[in-house]
Amino acid sequence: MTDERDADERDALAAEYVIGLLDAPDIARCERLLAEEPDFAVRVEGWRQRLAEIDQTAPLMAPPPQLWSRIEAAAGMARTQAPRRPRQPGRIARLWNHLPVWRGIGLVASAAALLMMAGTAYVVRQSARAPVLVAVLLSDANQPAAIVNAFRDGRTQFVPLQAIAAPEGKALQVWTLWDRARGPVSVGLLDALRQIDLSVAGLPAPTPDQLFEVTLEPAGGSPTGRPTGPILMKGNASRTDAGT
Amino acid sequence: MSPLAHRLHAAPQDDLALALQGCARGDRACLRRLYDRLAPRMIGVALRMLRRRDLAEEVVHDTFLRIWEKASTFDPARGAPETWVFAILRHRTLNVLRGEARTDLVDDFEPMGLAADAPDAEAAVTALSQASALRRCLERLEPHRRQAIVLAYASGLTHGELAGRMGVPLGTVKSWVRRSLVSLRECMA
Repeated sequence: MTDERDADERDALAAEYVIGLLDAPDIARCERLLAEEPDFAVRVEGWRQRLAEIDQTAPLMAPPPQLWSRIEAAAGMARTQAPRRPRQPGRIARLWNHLPVWRGIGLVASAAALLMMAGTAYVVRQSARAPVLVAVLLSDANQPAAIVNAFRDGRTQFVPLQAIAAPEGKALQVWTLWDRARGPVSVGLLDALRQIDLSVAGLPAPTPDQLFEVTLEPAGGSPTGRPTGPILMKGNASRTDAGT
Repeated sequence: MSPLAHRLHAAPQDDLALALQGCARGDRACLRRLYDRLAPRMIGVALRMLRRRDLAEEVVHDTFLRIWEKASTFDPARGAPETWVFAILRHRTLNVLRGEARTDLVDDFEPMGLAADAPDAEAAVTALSQASALRRCLERLEPHRRQAIVLAYASGLTHGELAGRMGVPLGTVKSWVRRSLVSLRECMA
């Protein structure tokens, strides 16, 4: 009976530690127990797992763009970065500017683009209107996930290769970058991947190597006008036979 | 479900564990992956306790530095990667809440404060999945006891603050919490 009461006592202590109800001396005691007693550590982890779901009910808040730069700088990770530009680019701009990454992706994307172009050749013949540029957007597993076709008349079409929907409260946003000084520009917002004409009116005609990407954003689109969520797919445009 | 769709709809713990291993090797892209995946929720959790956006972001900043330094101590055999990250976050958030300018952060101390917090606590409970054992077990508790547990965890209230807000003696709150925790553990076993 006493053992059971002790066990209950230990367990309640572990729970109150996880919840955050203990004062400084009891916290110090728990930290000692955590290091010394595997049984106590198991109880603490058990309560963390049990209560973690409450954290999942907290609202999602978009981090401000400078938060990542500050973390990166403070972690001493910025030393391999290119020298700072006069106008400091945001974190996304820096990622977009990271040439080795894009060169690598570009090579894979070009190879994939050739394959895709072969596959879509009949569409091109049927429409008798070949795109002048094609971008194959690859997922992070390097799988082709969508194609962007840019036509001579300025129409730019987004064609998904996988049917996916955004989770509740989220949207899929299509971006393009042709001018690093201007940064990525939103050209489409979707609740599920489907074929659309991108909103490129007023933008310069796409050029080879121009980047297209899709990010996961809050419903209604990125609150900052710049990509904030994870990149789901991306790819650079390549000129087609029709475009040369 | 395609890998892409899977990525959209789930946050596989394996992926987080791999990212933590990457951080331990000094791979900053892995820290970035954790950040992209977890930072928005982390700010939300810290903000619910601190009620000030600048402090919440500061805590998230410090948490990522801590993750970067301590990633090699993460042991997947002893716990899930997400709980490891959120334990660091909650620890730092509570330190700020308890340590710094406490009175600036929680200005209302009278029982009326409960009127504002009780719906928050109930909203947090109903935001839990219908299928959740935690929800089912919390709902079996008497409402004041349920609110005490949820407010302490989600908003970081102390025993004293809970007592003040609920208009009951400190000892009563302490025993409510204790007994509720025993019921919760038994119910969720």
